[in-house]
Formats: sequence, C-alpha cells, structure tokens
Amino acid sequence: MISINGLYKRYHNHHGSQWVLKDINLEIPTHVNIGLVGRNGAGKSTLLRLIGGMDTPDQGAIVRNCSVSWPIGLAGGFQGSMTGRQNVKFVTRIHNAENKLDEVIARVEEFAEIGAAFDDPVKTYSSGMRARLLFGLSLAFDFDVYLSDEATAVGDQIFRKKATRVFKERVGRSSLIMVSHAEAILRDLCQSGILLQGGKAFWFDDIKDALTAYHELNFG
Amino acid sequence: MLEKRRTSWQVTRAVWHAMFLHEVLARTTADRFAWFWMLVEPIAMVAIMAALRGVFLSGRHIAGADFIPWLITGLLGFYLFRENLQRSLKAIDANKGLFAYRQVQPVDPVLVRCFLEGMLKSLILVLFVAAGELLGIEMMPSDVLAALYHWWALWCLGLGAALTASALAVLIAEVAHIVQIAIVPLFFISGVILPLNFLPHWVQKYLLWNPIVHGIESLRASFFSSYRMVDGVDMFYFWCWTLSFVALGLMLHTAFARRLKAQ
Repeated sequence: MISINGLYKRYHNHHGSQWVLKDINLEIPTHVNIGLVGRNGAGKSTLLRLIGGMDTPDQGAIVRNCSVSWPIGLAGGFQGSMTGRQNVKFVTRIHNAENKLDEVIARVEEFAEIGAAFDDPVKTYSSGMRARLLFGLSLAFDFDVYLSDEATAVGDQIFRKKATRVFKERVGRSSLIMVSHAEAILRDLCQSGILLQGGKAFWFDDIKDALTAYHELNFG
Repeated sequence: MLEKRRTSWQVTRAVWHAMFLHEVLARTTADRFAWFWMLVEPIAMVAIMAALRGVFLSGRHIAGADFIPWLITGLLGFYLFRENLQRSLKAIDANKGLFAYRQVQPVDPVLVRCFLEGMLKSLILVLFVAAGELLGIEMMPSDVLAALYHWWALWCLGLGAALTASALAVLIAEVAHIVQIAIVPLFFISGVILPLNFLPHWVQKYLLWNPIVHGIESLRASFFSSYRMVDGVDMFYFWCWTLSFVALGLMLHTAFARRLKAQ
C-alpha cells in the first residue's frame, strides 16, 4: 500500500509558481495495475517521480510500505558514456545486490535483447534500445511496485508484447503504475485508474471508467 | 532479491562503492594513455620549468631547498587542489542520468571524484618521491607525518572548493567558465613556480590572502627541514577557508538538492 496524504507540489520558475498537484489524497493498493491518465502537463510524471522518491513534495507525505522501482522513463537512468553493462552493474550495486551481479546481468541481457550493443556506451543507443535496457534492468529486481513513465511507448511490437506478458505473469506478486497515452495498453494491462485533472487526482476502480471520464472532461 | 530496509548510511555506502568503481574506470580508460598523461604532465611541467629556471630565479637560490624538489612539491600540491576542483565541475552534469535512482544524490559524484583524485595524486606523489630517491635527488620528506598532514589539508581545500563550485556551476551557468579562467592566474600567484620570497613585501601581503599559498608553503616546510617559508604562513587561516568552503558547499548541496538533480 502506498498512501499519499495532502500532497502539494509546484515548480518555481520565472513566470510564477502554479500548483501542479493540489491536495492529493490517495491510497494506492499494490495488488492491481494502475493506469495514470490525464492531459500533457497534468502532473502525471510529477506524481510518478514523487511516488518513486526522486522528488520531494512541497507539502504532505508519501508513505511507501513496499519496495518501489525508480520511474522507468525515456530520460535518465543511465550515465551516457558508460556501456550498458557498466550501467547495469552500477544499478545492481546501489540496490545492494552485488552478490547476484551475474544473475542480474544475465536476466537483463536476456530481456533487453540488444546483443553486442550491451557493451557500447549508452549514448549510442536508440530510444527503443534504452527503454528495453532500462525496463529489463528494473525487472531484474523484484520490486513490489513498478513505475513506468511512457517506457513502453518507444518499443516495437515485440517489446510491448513481452512487457505485457511479464506483467501478466507477475499479477499478484508485483504491480505496475503506468503513465501512457496508448489507451489499448492501459486497457490491456491495468485494472484501475487514476485521472489527473486540474491538479486533482480522482481514483477509479475500473480503468475503463477512468478513460471514459477523461474523454468526457476533455473532448465533451 | 531486494534486502530488507537499509539504513541511510548503508544506502550511501553502496552508492559510493558503485560510483567509485565506475569513476575509476571512466577516469583511467576514458582517453587513450590516461595513465600516461597523469604521470607525464607533472614530469613535463618540471622539465619545462627547470629549463626556464633562469627566468624565475634570475641567478638567486631558494633558501633551504633545491629547486627541483621545491618545484615538484609545489606542482603536485597545486595539482591536488586543481584536479579536485576541475574534475568536480562536471561531476553533476556527467551523472545526471543516475539521479533517476532515489539512492543517488548530487553530492555523491563530487565526493567520489575528489576521493579518487586524492588517491591518484597521492600515488603520483609516492612515485615522484621514490624516483627522486633512486635518482639521488633529496625528495624524502624530512617530517613524513607533517607532509601527510599538509598534503591532506590541501586535498581538503580542494574538496571544499569542489563542493561549492560544483553546486554553483549548475545553479549559475557562468561559474564553470569563471573557475576555469581563474585557475591559470591562481597557479601563478600561489608560489608554485615563482618563489614568493623574491617578491617585495607589499606584494607578499596580498598574495597571502590566497589560502593555497599557506598550504603549499607548509607542505614544502615539512619536506625540507631548513626551508624558509614566506613570512605570515598560517595554517589557522588556511583551515578557516577550507572549513568555510566545505560548509558552504554542503549547505548548497543540501539546500538546492532538488534543483541540482533536475537541472
């Protein structure tokens, strides 16, 4: 269970500082996959980063009673001049799993399927290769909750199918909180949904209702 | 696979360990002959300065020390400070992708890089002392403990400057340029190649505002027992600068952690 209590978040910049998230109160269960929907700039990535502990709220608190992955997204996660293998080693070490280094590397290599590029600097990767590596890396650790920020968007069909299969296999053991604009994937993978609109968060037990509400609010 | 909750200290230690291994690799294999240049740069500098010694010394002698060992201690002491500062300027930017992991803080790459530079430069110092002894140049510090202490002190000053500059360089884009420009004049006014004792007293008075002078002169005094330091060298003044820099740097890293991560 992840509980979010009275959370406020804003970013200061030269044209003022509007609240991105205002008074968010959520109890996020860890046994269902959750889709995070909302328009561009609604605060989906911000909420994901806050849940992942990458950023801190201005007010309120997030209590995580489970292991949560880092936000798996399109940017970040790697040091560009180091190779894929070196980055995997780094992440394994900071997660205190150095004794399982070989096992982690084998699992990541198998999932990412980037071949010899695994030993090339990450800055030479395409966005699809990066996403596959980062996704495979997070799956090598058994987190209770995975945070995905459009990580599946750049992958090809095969990668998407694979990611979908992995999360279906893991139902009950680990869950997923994902941001995506691909509604087919959301319907396929997620059971529940959170709609972010105007800085507020609305919980829906069924992802279909969340998507319907999102459509009604934004497209009449 | 993930262990039970770790303490903050355990997490930080794991990050330092992982980052150290990764920085060592980057530092020693990034460009061809990285190792070669680490050794050759000070050797070449010593060779050039020794060839030009007439210009700086104009026939005079340094009281209580031979020119070559005097030059080597000054150069290495200054390089220890300079490398800490320069390597850290880009530390946050180079590792910004890794701030996606909540375990990693912007201060970590700076601390790790300074530690790594300290180790590398200490190794170079030991090599120089050993080579000097073998070549019959008096390079062994007369007071080894004092030499270690002043070497460490110069490292601390570099660390403080690195902590402060690395944070400021991200917050204010111009700082990195200013620091890069300032390093060259700093080299000349720190008494590394030009003995400050040769300068008139009223100039010395102003040059002594620079804490690096105090560190380098004290380092030399611990190497050469009869070395005549510039008047007014004071390690208390040196530590005031050092501790202020360290405190300011850590404060900047704490206060602006979020902005340093986001950039």
